[in-house]
Amino acid sequence: MQIAILSGKGGAGKTLLAVNLVNLIDEANLIDCDVEEPNGIFYFPIDYKKTDVNILVPKIDDKKCTHCNKCVDFCRYNALIDFLGKVKLLPSLCHSCGGCKLVCEFDAITEREEPIGVIYQGDYKNHKIFGGELNIGKESGIEIISQLIDKADKKTVNIIDCPPGNGCSVMESIEEADYCILVSEPTVFGLENLKLVYELTTIYNKKIGLIINKANSYNNVIEDFAKSNAIKILGYIPFDKELSKLNSNQKIVSDNKRFKPYFNKIIEQIRQEVDL
Amino acid sequence: MIIALPTKTSGEKAFISENLGRANYFYIYDTDKVDGKSFINNFQNEAHGAGVKTAEFLMKYSTDILITPRIGEKALEILLETDIKIYKATEKIARENINDFLNDKLEELY
Repeated sequence: MQIAILSGKGGAGKTLLAVNLVNLIDEANLIDCDVEEPNGIFYFPIDYKKTDVNILVPKIDDKKCTHCNKCVDFCRYNALIDFLGKVKLLPSLCHSCGGCKLVCEFDAITEREEPIGVIYQGDYKNHKIFGGELNIGKESGIEIISQLIDKADKKTVNIIDCPPGNGCSVMESIEEADYCILVSEPTVFGLENLKLVYELTTIYNKKIGLIINKANSYNNVIEDFAKSNAIKILGYIPFDKELSKLNSNQKIVSDNKRFKPYFNKIIEQIRQEVDL
Repeated sequence: MIIALPTKTSGEKAFISENLGRANYFYIYDTDKVDGKSFINNFQNEAHGAGVKTAEFLMKYSTDILITPRIGEKALEILLETDIKIYKATEKIARENINDFLNDKLEELY
């Protein structure tokens, strides 16, 4: 069972929810796919095994290259440039599609590995915790996300903490998800961002539920939208100073007596939607 | 000497574009011929690597001097390997920026 947690903006509460669901669901694993700002692993102070992640990028043999520029014209990402008598690669733009190698008629292109980041893996009680980190200066963490998702056992409950937004890295994260939980905060800005991820999950035809984080007296901003689109509200996380303080100190708030019931209630609601 | 500038509209009276790779036009001026021409930036709406394509374009027209208010990381990475010198544009129109450059009034960026 793959459950992805999404939100249109950063700071909505994806990681807060993900970490606490993992904590309360027996044998659930965490897959933190936000490789650009990974913080899921901070909540679980355990020893992590680190594995390097590489992508394949083209290597051009200047002796074989005839400067026909087929590869340069082919590259949708403009990662190749023919200049100063050499076809040069800009690795940060390369998406590792391998197309340049295919279109080269002179066998001038081979592939080499380029390191882009690492994967962290560790055990916390009976949970497996996975996280990835994209190296500074690299533009796309898709390969790390893809390897992260492959690492987790699909037969168990995996909570996938997505990157914010609705871009490529989020699509990669939710692709295999059986259920998507959207997290929003009750502001007009929060609503606009929620609409973006809602649209994405609709395109992907995903079963979804909604959590309102930082719940306060303005919840109706989100509730009205949920009602008019027939989205089930799974629960609320209160707008609470103590909760924020605990969370920002990397404490798992569902270990606290006061906050545990909110998350248990959410899990109860999720169980009505999917088999955990 | 060939001087290139990113501009908002075409012609020598055009204002300078805030961006290089995403500029609407490039104005290319030849000091020997005392003549310039505007080119539409075909790569303005590229999802990726507009700066790379711009650098390629500037090389194609044998640019010696680039006058721009700012330059992106990728275009710079490429242009630093060339002999193209980069100067900081002011808010004046293209023609005046060229004159200011010729009178040594512009700051060299790279």
